This record gives sequence, structure tokens and C-alpha cells, in this order.
Amino acid sequence: MTAYIIRRLLYLIPIVMGVLLVTFCLFTLVGGDISQQIAGKNADAETIAEIRHEYGFDKPLFLAWDSQFLAHFKKAFTFNFGRALDREKIGEKIFRGVGPSLALTVPMFFGTLVISISFALIVAFLRGTVWDHIIVFLCVAGMSIPYLSFIIFGQYYFAYKLDWFPIFYDPSRPIYLSIILPALIGIVAGLGSNLRFYRTIMLDEVRSDYVRTAFAKGLTARKVLFKHVLKNAMIPIVTNTVLSIPYLILGSLLLERFFGIPGLGYLMIEAINARDFFVLNAMTFIMALLIAFFTLVTDVCYAWVDPRVKFD
Amino acid sequence: MKGFIKQFVFVMPAICILLLLISGCSKKDDDGKSGEMVLRYSLISKVTNIDPGNIQDVYGSQLVSQICESLYTYHYLKRPFEIIPCLAADMPVISEDKLTYTISIKKGVFFHNNPCFPDGKGRELKAQDFVFAFKRIANVKYASVNWGGLKDYIVGLNEFREYTKQFKKEYDVDYSYDVEGLQALDDYTFQIKLAKPWPQLINDLTGVVTAPVAKEVVDYYKIDAPVHPIGTGPFKLKTWQRGIYIELERNEHYRDDFYPTEGELSDIENGYLEDAGKQMPFVDRVIYRVIEEYQPAWLLFLRGEFDRLYIPKDNFDSAVDIVSKAPKEFMKDRNIEVTIKDQPSLYYLGFNMKDPVLGNNKPLRKAISFAVNREQINELMYNNRWRIAHSLVHPLLDGYNPELAELNYMAYDLSKAKELLREAEKIHGGSIPPLKIGWPGSDPFSRQFAQLIQRQIEKAGIKIEINYLDWPTYVDMMNKGQHQIFGSGVRFSSPDPLSVFSMFPTKYFAPMGNSFFYSNPEYDALYERAEVMFPSPERAELFHKMEKMVLEDYPAVFTTQRVQYNLHHEWYDNYKPHPFLYSHVKYIRIDSEKQRAYKELLKELKKKDQ
Repeated sequence: MTAYIIRRLLYLIPIVMGVLLVTFCLFTLVGGDISQQIAGKNADAETIAEIRHEYGFDKPLFLAWDSQFLAHFKKAFTFNFGRALDREKIGEKIFRGVGPSLALTVPMFFGTLVISISFALIVAFLRGTVWDHIIVFLCVAGMSIPYLSFIIFGQYYFAYKLDWFPIFYDPSRPIYLSIILPALIGIVAGLGSNLRFYRTIMLDEVRSDYVRTAFAKGLTARKVLFKHVLKNAMIPIVTNTVLSIPYLILGSLLLERFFGIPGLGYLMIEAINARDFFVLNAMTFIMALLIAFFTLVTDVCYAWVDPRVKFD
Repeated sequence: MKGFIKQFVFVMPAICILLLLISGCSKKDDDGKSGEMVLRYSLISKVTNIDPGNIQDVYGSQLVSQICESLYTYHYLKRPFEIIPCLAADMPVISEDKLTYTISIKKGVFFHNNPCFPDGKGRELKAQDFVFAFKRIANVKYASVNWGGLKDYIVGLNEFREYTKQFKKEYDVDYSYDVEGLQALDDYTFQIKLAKPWPQLINDLTGVVTAPVAKEVVDYYKIDAPVHPIGTGPFKLKTWQRGIYIELERNEHYRDDFYPTEGELSDIENGYLEDAGKQMPFVDRVIYRVIEEYQPAWLLFLRGEFDRLYIPKDNFDSAVDIVSKAPKEFMKDRNIEVTIKDQPSLYYLGFNMKDPVLGNNKPLRKAISFAVNREQINELMYNNRWRIAHSLVHPLLDGYNPELAELNYMAYDLSKAKELLREAEKIHGGSIPPLKIGWPGSDPFSRQFAQLIQRQIEKAGIKIEINYLDWPTYVDMMNKGQHQIFGSGVRFSSPDPLSVFSMFPTKYFAPMGNSFFYSNPEYDALYERAEVMFPSPERAELFHKMEKMVLEDYPAVFTTQRVQYNLHHEWYDNYKPHPFLYSHVKYIRIDSEKQRAYKELLKELKKKDQ
């Protein structure tokens, strides 16, 4: 196992290098020179040249000690991403956004996971009954309603009409208060697709021979579902769950925007709109690292949840 | 398993109730408890720059104008607009040749307290701070977006810019380098010497860009100086959470600055002079929250958590009766009032005159102009709020020519458009290929707008393709002359109409103001004459000629001019819209009694609804 993990960690090096090369080419070669944009609409050539110099756009792209690619490489590996176009340190920007993003997405993630798996077990147990049909119908209905509608309705009805929650994040109040409603909306909006996914997995397992045998041995339904079915359904659950973890850090763009949560989803979209390639580079690099790491975690988790999985 | 289902069914609602309790128990109700007057605004776009020397956008200007003051400002109440001294003690003394401006500075004005000053106490404002602010904009290492506005005008400033090129960083530059055209004759006298007459200088001296900057700020904060606007204004920056929240607090050492005692005749009747002669500012804190989505801003306004709000397009019909321009019943029930702000602006579909299809084909450009139905645009996109642009010069600017409306340059005439298209095809030597419109933004509003324009032009038989672009790409393409047609607009920041005409001279080809690449030697010659002239009937005559030239050449389809409708609560007092004055916050008063009564009113309305 240790050798496997070390080998996989070593594989990360070329992957990360590849990501750096691709992001550099995308943002620098394809994205073009953004000095004109920074200089404003009516800037003269001198100002534009000065900005090119300040941001290093006048340096060679590759094949020089002071090339833009090496600078890009150095920034990534030292985690010193420099300053964004608005001159704020990118590290500080990202660090500030991680908390609010996770504060929103982690409860959403666990809430959706627990509720959908629990419901999936229930409907698997009640399969073929009216309740099963009703829940499947509600899932499909939930999946068909646009995410934005959940947000607009939730904000209008629960925050404005009923006044149960804040309408928008107010920095003078603790952030958790502003996160309850968007998190609940996120859970409800995501429930349909997740529940259907886990229901399918559970039904596959429930139809297995070992389940019939367990019931024949006289085990209670609760014991069969939680001790046997759930355990055997863990491989797809782990895959779905662990690989979702890196994306939690990115937050939820729409929810963050409508509820004013100052997270990284918001930051990312603002960076795209402003063509702030410095921020985008940093975010892409961090995301690549996280995805590579959690892919490794997923593989390790397979062995943990299923003893049949062995690492060579 | 049934036990589990029961537990599950019980636990879920229990968690929800717990969350509600957490949310409900933590509600705060601090309005007026501390006796503080707090102004609360929403911003629909984030403020990206708060450094006076580098500000180019409206939101930045609106914010920083409360913190930093300039030499001159506009009278808050008088119309037509009148420039009055702000940090200057008087109006400038202008030499006979119009090349030297001598300005005396008010005494006893202090910068905000800040650690960059000895003992943290703001020092007195001096003429040298203006010299420094101008030199800083010229410093090439500072890379100010506003250098273009000063270039070639001030004696010795271009040379100073050359001199700064030898330094590595902005704050390494030795500012003791003498610039002949910028002199502090003594601590309270600032002199500007011009290389050529610059009649618009006085207008530019009202802008926050030319606000004084204390050198100590740049020396102390160095690279972070742009995020520390330290001015002499009525408010100082307390919190800036980028993209989310900005809080200003009252400057406790603010100079004597009294609410105007005179204005228009109707100002007494409208209650604008009730605070005449009182020390400003009235409010203790100002809070700006950035809310880019309309729904939350609208709901927070109705809840009374914002004092004023720009009316979102989708809520306009429920808020205002466009015929009477009065608030609808729903608004009246809540004592919400409407103010209308005419914004000197011009929106258009620009033609790239360098484009081989459009540039040499005036009938084609004219056909497109006749195919565009401006009334329909105003109705469908702006709820009939905006005005049709019948001329280049907005009615609020000097030199507006009302007769142009009768000449029908902006008429909608589809049959004439088709006729012109046939003429255009002859010039082109065949049918016109599909034309591409570069459109900034791809949000639903932008798409609806672009598609409406597309449909209108296609009715005349001209094929249109829309290229939706993000803002930086759009600007980049515009500056490089890569659009065929582009949707754009401009807002004018002073009543002097020269800025309208600076959109068309050959010498101002993009990235300067002429994004059309319109070139007309006759126009250029008139512009050269007009640009150095002070307002006079002769200059007005030149402007009329230039305006007609542009209208007849159709370098663009001029469409609309913006009129902004705002809602505000009854407790928001003294608000008189002014299109050129950004530092209006100090004039505003909050009626705390009415503000507190609003919550009760909402409860009553809720009961009625039930």
C-alpha cells in the first residue's frame, strides 16, 4: 500500500507539470495580451508598454531564464501567486474565499449525502410501493426545475415573505446565519439527482442473492440494509463522494452570487469576466492539485471499504 | 426498518426547526439604537479601484468622491449647473493669455488621520499636495489610466514623464523634479501653466482624479497605496471587503462645510432648503453592499435595508407608472418615492469606418440607421424610461440644438432603409454580406437587446450576426478596429460638450475616444479650432457644424440617452439628482423617526395582506 501511494504521489509530478504547461499556453498564448485591458479604454502606448513591463508580458515566453513560463512555474511551486489585476495578493484573495465557500458547500455536501443515501435505502426497501413511485416522481420533478428557480423562490418566500432567514449576507453578522438558507436550497435542489443515483445503486444491491439469503436467514430489514447492502454499495458511493470533495472548495457560483457569500465560486467567475489570468492560473493549479490528490484518496478508500481490492 | 423510517421522518423536521431557531434567535435590530445615522446603498457592480489618480469608472468615482475632495465642485442645488470652489478658496485667477491658472487653497483643511502621518494625525492640506497628485498621474511607473487627459497640456509635465522612465518602481521616483507648469507658489497657492489653452480644465478640476494626494501616503504604503485613499473629504474609508462590502465613517476633523442656502425657486417648496446653512455631513456612516443580482437588492430595499435603489428592469412596471412618472400603489403604501435622473449620455451602434464593407458605403450605414426602431428599443428594453437621441449633444449639455430633432436623422423608416440598401448594393457590387455586431456581454438582457437590433436590421434585408463577447475581449477588438459594428455608449462627466466631439477627430483614433475610426479632415480642422476655445457663440456655432457633419456621415446609429429612475424611502432627505456631482452623500439626511416607523408599517401591511 505504501509503495502504491508513493508511486501515485510521484505520478502527480508530471501531471502537475502538464497542468502548468496547459494553463500557461491557454492563458498566455490563446488568451492574449491583457495590458490594453488593464490600461483602460483611452490609454496611450507608453502606459500600455509600462503595464506590459510591470506584469512581465514583455519577457520571452519560453527558453530564457527570465521567461514568462519559468516565472509562472516558480509562482505555482512557491505558492506565491503574486497580485491580481486589482493589485490584491492572490494568496490572500483565495485564502479569504475558502472559508465562506466551504461553509456553504460542506453542509450542503453532507446534508445531500446523508439525506439522499437514507432516502435511497428507504425507497429501496419500499420499492414498487406508492411511496417509491411518489419519491421517484418528486426526484424527476426536482431535477426538471432549474436550479435558479429554487434560489429565486427560496429567497423570495423563506427569506423575504416569511422572514425566516437573511435575504443576503451581511458582513456585520456571523456568516453561518446567511448560509443556512442557501445550504438548504442547495440540498433540496441537489436531492433529486443524488437520490435517483443512490436509489439505482441500492436497488442493484437489494436484488442480489446475498440479500435474499440474508432475509432468508431471518435478519431484520434494518440489519440487511445498513450492514450488508450499504457496505456493498460503498464503491460507487465513495467514487461519487470523494471525487466531489475538491469541487467543494470552488463553492457554488449561483448560490454565492444570489446570497452574497464571498466564496471562491464568485472569485473564479469574476476572474473569468475580468480576464484576470493570474487568479485563474492560481485557482486552476490549486484545483489540479486537489483533484489529483483526491483521486488518490478515492483509490485508497476502495481498499478500505472493499477488502477484495488489492494494490499491486 | 420501519423504526428507522420513523426516526428519519422525525429527525429531518427537527433539524429544520433547529436551523430556523438559530436563524431567528440571531436576528439583530440595531436601527437607531445607537442614535447613529447610517446610509445604506446597494451597488450593482463591484468597485475595482479606489485610488483617485487611477479611477476611470462611475462606481469608483461615486465612492472615492466621498473620501477625497477636489479643488472645485458643482453647486448641489443650482440649475443650470454651476461650478463652485471646494478645496480652493476661490475661483481660479486666469491670465489674459488663458495659459496660467492661479488657485488659492483653503486654510485649515486636514487630511484624514492615518498612521502614514506623524502621530497618526492628518496634516494640513497644502498646495504641494496638488502638485504631487498631478505628477503622480504623469509618473509612467504609476501607469495611470488618466494620463491621456493631462498629456501635452501642462508645461513640463511630458518631460517629467520621460524622467520617471529611469526608475524601477512608482515610489522610487524623486518628485522634487521641477515641473514648470505645476508650482506651489506658497503653501496655499497652486499654479498651473498650460502649454495651450485648455478651457475644460476647470471641469476636470471638479473630478476626483485631480484630488490632492499626500506624499506621505505613497511613501508609507508604497505598493499598497492604491488601496488607501486618504483624502480631506467628509468620510473616511473604514472597511473595504473587495467585491462585497464597503463602509465609510464620518471624518471627525472635517472642515467647515455648510449645506447650500440657495438653489432653484422650487427647492424651498420641495424641501431641499430645510437644512440650509447647517454643517455637513449629516450621516455618521455609509454602507455600500455589492449585490449584482437584482432580486436580493429589490427585496432588501422593500424590507427597508437600503435607502435608495436603482429600479431593476423587471420590477419597473410594479414600481412606477410611466405615464404619470409617479410611484404605483404598492410603493405609495410603503411611502416610497421616485426620483428621475437624466444622465448625459449617448448610446449607439458604432460602425468601423475602416471596414471595407461599411466604411465606403454611406447608403449602407444610413440604411441600417433607418432600419433601427429606437422607440421600440426604448419600449422593450427600457420600459420607455430612456429618451431617444435626436442629437449627439444631450439636452443637459451646453450647446444642445433642439432643432436637430426635426431633421429626422434618427427616424425609423423601413421602406427608405430598403431603398438605401439597393443603392448600397450597387456601391458594393453585389449583395451585402452578413454583417457582424460585436456585443459586450452575454447575459439575458444583452442577448435580448442584441437580438432585437438583429431583428430590426434584418427586416430591411441586411443579414446580421451577433458576436457576444466578454468586456475585455470586446474592448480589445474595438481598439484594434476588429469589429464591423459594435454596441456601445458613453456617459459625459461635465456640461461642456467638447467630450462629445472628441469622439470623432482622426487624432483620437482608438484606443482614444474615436472607436469608429471616423476621419473627416474638415471636421478635424473645426475640432482643432474649437478645442482651445472658451465657451462663446462662435464655439457653439462650430459645434453645431461639427454635429451636423457627424450626423450626415452616419459613423454610428445613435439610439438612446439614459434616464435613470430611482426609488428611495421617505426618510432619505435632501436628495436632488445631479448628473455631474458624485459627492452627494454629505448632503443627505436620514429621518430616523420615519425610518423606525417603517418596520411598524410593514407589520401593518402584512396583517392587511393576511
